[in-house]
Amino acid sequence: MHMQPTSSMKEEFLQKWQMGLQIYRPLIDNTSVSERRKAIKLSADVAMASLRRGTTCWSRALIQKTATEDNFLVRQMLSGIKAETLINKKLPKVMCHRKIVRRSKKILRRRKSRSAIEEVAAKARKLVKKKTQGLRNVVPGGEFMSNDVLLIQETLDYIVSLQTQVNVMRSIVDAAEAGSERTAYYLGKLKFAIEDG
Amino acid sequence: MSNRRSRQSSSALRISDDQMIDLVSKLCQLLPEIRERRRSDKVSASKVLQETCNYIRKLHREVDNLSDRLSQLLDAVDEDSHEASVIRSLLM
Repeated sequence: MHMQPTSSMKEEFLQKWQMGLQIYRPLIDNTSVSERRKAIKLSADVAMASLRRGTTCWSRALIQKTATEDNFLVRQMLSGIKAETLINKKLPKVMCHRKIVRRSKKILRRRKSRSAIEEVAAKARKLVKKKTQGLRNVVPGGEFMSNDVLLIQETLDYIVSLQTQVNVMRSIVDAAEAGSERTAYYLGKLKFAIEDG
Repeated sequence: MSNRRSRQSSSALRISDDQMIDLVSKLCQLLPEIRERRRSDKVSASKVLQETCNYIRKLHREVDNLSDRLSQLLDAVDEDSHEASVIRSLLM
């Protein structure tokens, strides 16, 4: 797991994103701005998720979610990578049946008589639990990650992937907004930024 | 990162404190807000998690914003202009 966007991640994201946009190419001239915007965002999301080749929960969840919005695009973009399995694959069974967990926790609480330190630790854990719920709302597939350790591992990977996505998209938009005279300059900068890692 | 507790059937019950501390410190390294603080400042796990949520939302907003700008760019340029072909070659 990378701790920051690498140049190979950025390059691969750009390639896949471009491929996704090419799929829209015939349509792009005849659609509204909001439809283009959706195409740009969805292809960027699939490109980002596909970097993980189905190895993380968040990326599978994101692909499934995007497939509900544009099944055709997702299948086209993933056609080299077993699209069917990724779209239909069940999310990992790390979710523990909530009733069982609650009952077991109740039993544990009744058996133990807690010291002051354990009380404090329990309060801290409760607070952390509340905050992790917030994370579950922003990480794709978070609702299936009842194991906090898994949740944070997935979050770490998701953040690095988001940084990759933002990094490359920003370079492209800056280059495009700069206009044709300066595009050569920005293209060089983009290439440099990607190689720089 | 194997932990005998995580091998229990219901691993949501007990999470090793060491594991959490390790993961939370990794989160710290990713968050710009927290990385920029002085090392002597301690940050609670709860704060780190809150900052993480905020940071992810911020990244989401940035992607939305960039998608907006790009879609408007594609719209604003003249079909046959030099700029249009440059942008299309960048992306397509």
